[in-house]
Amino acid sequence: MTQLALQHYLAVGAIMFVIGMIGFMTRRNLIVIFLCTELMFQGVAINLIAFGRFWHGLEGQAFVIFVLVIAAAEASLALGLVVLLFRQKNTLDADAWRELKG
Amino acid sequence: MRTRGENLKVEMDELFAIRHSYLIPLLPLLGAMIAGFFGARWLKDKSHWPIWIGVGSSAVLSFMLLFGMLRHMPEHHAADAGHGGLALSAESRTVGVNKVFFNWITAGNPNNAPHDRFFNAEAGFWFDPLTAVMLCVVCGIGFLITVFSAGYMKGEPGYFRFFSYLGLFIFAMTCLVMGNNLLMLYLGWEGVGVCSYLLIGYYYERPSAREAAKKAFLVNRIGDFGFGLGIMLCFMAFGTIKYFSGDAAHTGLLELVQNPVLSEFQRQALNWIPFLLMMGAFGKSAQFPLHVWLPDAMEGPTPVSALIHAATMVTAGVYMIVRCGTLFVGNSAAMWTVAIVGCFTALFAGTIALRQFDLKKVFAYSTVSQLGFMFVAAGCFAPVAAVFHLVTHAFFKALLFLSSGVVMHATGGELDLSKMSGMKAILPKTRWLMLIGCAALSGLPPLAGYFSKDEIIAASYFQSRLLAAMMLIAAFMTAYYSFRLYFRVFEGPLVVPPPPAHDPHHAAGHDAEEEHAAGHHHDHEPMIMIAPLVILALGAIFAGALAYHHAIGNFLGASPSVAQAYHMAQRVHGLRGKDMHPLQFGQHDVQLEIEKLSKEFVAHEHHVHLTLMIVSALIAGCGVYLAYLMHLRDRSAGDKLAVRFRGAARIFEAKYWIDEVYQNGIVEPLRAAGRGLFMFDRLVVDGLVRVFGFSPHAAGWVVRFTTQRGYLQGYAVMMLLGITAILVFVFYT
Repeated sequence: MTQLALQHYLAVGAIMFVIGMIGFMTRRNLIVIFLCTELMFQGVAINLIAFGRFWHGLEGQAFVIFVLVIAAAEASLALGLVVLLFRQKNTLDADAWRELKG
Repeated sequence: MRTRGENLKVEMDELFAIRHSYLIPLLPLLGAMIAGFFGARWLKDKSHWPIWIGVGSSAVLSFMLLFGMLRHMPEHHAADAGHGGLALSAESRTVGVNKVFFNWITAGNPNNAPHDRFFNAEAGFWFDPLTAVMLCVVCGIGFLITVFSAGYMKGEPGYFRFFSYLGLFIFAMTCLVMGNNLLMLYLGWEGVGVCSYLLIGYYYERPSAREAAKKAFLVNRIGDFGFGLGIMLCFMAFGTIKYFSGDAAHTGLLELVQNPVLSEFQRQALNWIPFLLMMGAFGKSAQFPLHVWLPDAMEGPTPVSALIHAATMVTAGVYMIVRCGTLFVGNSAAMWTVAIVGCFTALFAGTIALRQFDLKKVFAYSTVSQLGFMFVAAGCFAPVAAVFHLVTHAFFKALLFLSSGVVMHATGGELDLSKMSGMKAILPKTRWLMLIGCAALSGLPPLAGYFSKDEIIAASYFQSRLLAAMMLIAAFMTAYYSFRLYFRVFEGPLVVPPPPAHDPHHAAGHDAEEEHAAGHHHDHEPMIMIAPLVILALGAIFAGALAYHHAIGNFLGASPSVAQAYHMAQRVHGLRGKDMHPLQFGQHDVQLEIEKLSKEFVAHEHHVHLTLMIVSALIAGCGVYLAYLMHLRDRSAGDKLAVRFRGAARIFEAKYWIDEVYQNGIVEPLRAAGRGLFMFDRLVVDGLVRVFGFSPHAAGWVVRFTTQRGYLQGYAVMMLLGITAILVFVFYT
C-alpha cells in the first residue's frame, strides 16, 4: 500500500474535470449541462486543496471555501433560470434556445 | 563716465511717450473692443467716441514722441567731422532706443548659443526717427480720418463695426511701425491685412465687395509667403530677427549683416533675403504684378480707401525696405529690381489712370503709381526721399480720397466723372480742397508733392538717366489725369447725376430714413467732414517745408536704419561712388565733408537738382495745361484724342487685361486642377478607404453565419480549442 501522493489527487481532479467537460459537450439537457459544470468546478477545487496541503498552506482551502460559496449562489440562480426556461418552452433541450444567438 | 551717446539714450528712455509707448497700440485696441462689444447694443451712433479717444491719444503720444526725439537729436558736429573725415562712426550721430516689454516667443537654449539655436522674439518696440515719422503719419492722419468717418458713415447699419475695425487697424499698424523685430513687423503686417480684408468687405451684402475683399487677402498671401520665408532665412543665417541690439554689442540683425566677414551661408542668404522680403513689400504696397487687389479694394467705404489703401497700410512695404536698409543696399540686383519694378508700376498704373472714369479708381491707380515712385526712391539709394514722399503722399492722397467721399456723399454714391460736371456750384469748399490735392499730387510748385517727387526724380537721375526720363513721363501723366478729373468734375456747366437707386449702401442708409436724407441733402459739406480735410489740405500745401534745409533728411538720417544703410552702401559700392549721395541718406555731415574734398562733384549735384526742379515743374505744368485743353476748354477734344488713339485707350480702359490674364492663366487652371483633385479624392482615395473599412465588416459577416449558430456545445468546443491553442502556443514556443 503506497502513500497517497500529490499525483493521485491531481489525477482525481483531472478525471473529474474531463468527465464534466465531456458531459458538457455531449449532453443536451440543461440540468445535466449544469451538473457537468459543477463537476468541473469540483475537479478544480480538488486541485486547489491538494496543492494547499502539499505546500502546507491554508490559501488553497480558503480559496475552495470561496469557490463553494459562489458555486452555491450560482447554483440557486442557474436552477431558477432553468425553471423559467422550462416554463417558456416546456422542454429542457438547450437547442430549443438557439434563437438567442441573435 | 557715460559717453554722449549713452547719455542721449538714457534721456530718451525717460521720455513719457517711450515709457508709456505700450499705450500707443493698446488705446486704439481698447477703443475697438469697446466699440465692438458695446457698439451694437448700447453705443450705436456714438460708437465713434472710443475710437476718437483711443486714436486721438495715440496721435498725441506720437507727436510727443516726435518732439521729444527732436529735442534729443544729436547736434551736427561739422567740426568733429573734420577730424574723423568720412569714416565717422555711424552710431555717434544716430538715435535709437529699444523698449522691451516681455519675451513674446522663445525657443532653444540661450546659454548654449553657438550649438543650440536660440530664437527670441520680443514684444518690444524700437524708437528712432523713422518710427516717429511713421507713427505720426499713421496716428495723425488716422485720427483725422476717424473724425471724417463719423460724418461720412452717419446712419450706416454697421456703424459700430466700422469704427471697431478702424481701431483694430490702428493697433496693427502701430505694431507694424514700432516693432523692434521682424516678427512684430509681421504681426502688424498680417493684422493690417486682416483689417483691410474686413473693411473692404464692409458692405458684405454686395457680392463685388466680398470678391474684392477675398482678392485683396489672397493676393497679399502670395507676397506674405515670400516675406515669411525671408524672415525665416534671416533667422537661419544670422540667428536673430531683432533689428538692433541697442547696445555696444551690435548683435541685431541689421547690424550683423554689416559684418565684413560673413560665413559662406550668410553671404548666400543675403543674396536671397532682399528678394523674399521684397515679395512681401510688392504685395502689401500693390506693385506690379501684385497690384491687382488695390483698385478693387475701393469697394470699401471711402475713409477706408483714404486711410488704409492710400495713406498708411500700402506704404508698409516702403517702410519695410527703408527699415531693412542694410539688408538691401549691399545687393545691387535687389536694389535695381526694386527701382525697376517701382518705375514700371509708376508708368503702368499711370497709363491706366488716364482712362478710368470712376473717381476712386483714378485715385487708386494713382496710389499704385505713387507707391511706384516711393519704390524707385528706395531702390535708388534714397530712403529719405521715399519716406518724404510717403509723408506728403499720405496728406494729399487722403485729402483726395476724402474729397471724393464728399462728392460721393453729395451725389448719393455716383462716382462716374463722365456723368457729372461743374460741381463747384454745390460743393464750393470741396472744390478748393480737391484743387489743392490735385495740385499737390501733380507736383505743382510750391506744394508738398513737388518737393518730394523732385527728390525722387533726382535720385533716379543719379542712378540712370533713362529711369529719370521714365519718372518724368510718369509725373506728366500724374498731372494730366489728376487735372482731367478735377476739370471734369468741378469745372464747366453744372451737371448733377441722379443718385443710383440700386446702391445698397445708400439705399439702406438714407432711403429708410426719409427725414434724415432730406436733412443731409441740405448740407453737402458738414463741418465734421470739412474740418479734417482742411488740416489735410494744409499738410498737402506745407509738408514740402519739411525738406527746408534738409530738415526731414537730417532727422531721418539719425535713424540707425538709414545711417547704417549709407555706411553699408558706401562700403560695398565704393567710397562716394557716383550714385552714393549722403543727403539721400540724411548724412548732412558727410555731405559737408565731400563739399570740402570735391567742389565739382557737389556743384554737379546742385546743378542736376536745380535743372530737374525746373524740368519737373514745367512738366507738371504741361500736364495740367494739356488736361485744361482736353477737358475744360474743349471737352470734345479729349474724346477725339481717345478716338484717335482708340487702341491705346482700349488697353488702358481694360487695365492691360491683367485681371483676365490672372483669371484665365492662374485662377481657372487652378480651379480645374482643384476639381480634378477633388474627383481623385472622391473616387480613388475615398474608394480605398471604403475598401478597408468594408473588409472587417464583410469578414465578420462571414464568420457570423458560419460559426455562431446557437449550439451551446459548439461554443464550448470553440472555447476548448481556443484554450488548447493558447496552451500549445505558451508551452511549445
